Amino acid sequence: MTERPGSRVTASSALERFLRALRTPSGWLFALLFAAWAVSVARAPIDSVQGVIQKILYVHPPLAFAAYLGFALTAVGGALFLWRGDESFDRLARSAAEVGLLFCTLVVITGPIWAKGTWGRWWSWDLRLTVTLLLWFVYLAYLLLRSFTEGSERAARFAAVYGIAGLAVIPLNYFAIDMAGGRSIHPQNLERGSLGAGMGMPFALGAFVCIVAFVHLLCRRVEIESLRTRLAERLMAPRGPGARG
Amino acid sequence: MNTLAAILWKDLVSEWRSRDRVIAMGLFAFLVVIVLRFALPGTDPVEVKRLAPGLLWVAYVFAALLGLNRAFALELENDALAGLALAPADRGWVFLGKALANFVLLALVQAATATVFGIAFALDLVPIAGRLAAIVALGSLGICTVGTLFSAVAVRTRYREVMLPLLLLPLLMPILLGAVSATTSLLGDGALPFEPLQLLVVTDGIFLIVSFVSFEFVLDE
Repeated sequence: MTERPGSRVTASSALERFLRALRTPSGWLFALLFAAWAVSVARAPIDSVQGVIQKILYVHPPLAFAAYLGFALTAVGGALFLWRGDESFDRLARSAAEVGLLFCTLVVITGPIWAKGTWGRWWSWDLRLTVTLLLWFVYLAYLLLRSFTEGSERAARFAAVYGIAGLAVIPLNYFAIDMAGGRSIHPQNLERGSLGAGMGMPFALGAFVCIVAFVHLLCRRVEIESLRTRLAERLMAPRGPGARG
Repeated sequence: MNTLAAILWKDLVSEWRSRDRVIAMGLFAFLVVIVLRFALPGTDPVEVKRLAPGLLWVAYVFAALLGLNRAFALELENDALAGLALAPADRGWVFLGKALANFVLLALVQAATATVFGIAFALDLVPIAGRLAAIVALGSLGICTVGTLFSAVAVRTRYREVMLPLLLLPLLMPILLGAVSATTSLLGDGALPFEPLQLLVVTDGIFLIVSFVSFEFVLDE
């Protein structure tokens, strides 16, 4: 495999050093926010119509925010990798896809639990449900593509192209499913600002908790990936005279 | 431009000499139509008209996947793919040549499948043939652009026959929804609806640009 101009193998870059520095603070911040969030969720008022199941509100949309952040980072990291040829962007894209897929899976699990409690059925082909499910499939395929492709540079290129196409298709899916009659039965609470009294705080905290959890997991995942690259470089490097294994 | 014509001509000539891809795609599409026909419980004409567009597009997409899987398989022999990658031409035009060849082959299969489909489901497609062809062409354009791009990707992965549908089907959802919706209204009142066609044109445009630009990175050896 010939290297493209500008392509370089770097075990560590400014981006990765930044994420590594962020690892410990984000862990502590997560612990603090999580405790505050748990208390505020416990003290939040019980919804007069839905009952206690409404408290999924403090988990479900925040998880979705983190999932979308992951998928956006996957496409951005892939595009930067194709543009600059720096492998640390590819490690960012791959890690963001994995962590994003984890959050997206939790969204797709918590959603039906809430839906069964309030709408009366596990799954409806609602606009946002369908788009999220398709996204989940796209990023599952993204990770499969990576593991089925031999050669890390080639896998990175293929995956970057797929990640960008996956992001480009999101608005199209929204439009398409909307047109096909999958009108959203998701409430537009945030747009209308109609969260009940005492519900805004735990919701905002939930969003922070999920974003910080995402960042923390991303830092750790990127670190594993760069350690793996460094190990591979060390194993591949020719040993000089007198070098010890 | 010359590159496009050369690649298109090469693919069509080699297909004309063997004819194996078109025959395989066509037979497969016929079988899908027959299976779908037997899987349907009733023959109520109203019910058939409601379901037919979706079923027709299922047959089209399956046939397209089969054909696209082979689009680059031939290029693997004798390292022809490396030759394509080294050709002193813009790779975007190489891509367009391959995509256009796939489009032509798929169109042949689709025309034959529509005939069989019309007979099997007792639908008179002749009066709407022109408008149906326009919808099918818009749909196939989207399928063939991203299809050709990711066929070049899938052919160099393990389990390549499995990989292509996994990559392609989630991306093809806007195309499928637009095409099925347009076909449904065409079968219903014979009119071409604006919204689905708009969706198809926009999706085709985006897919064409994304594939044209990123084919460069897919062919890199």
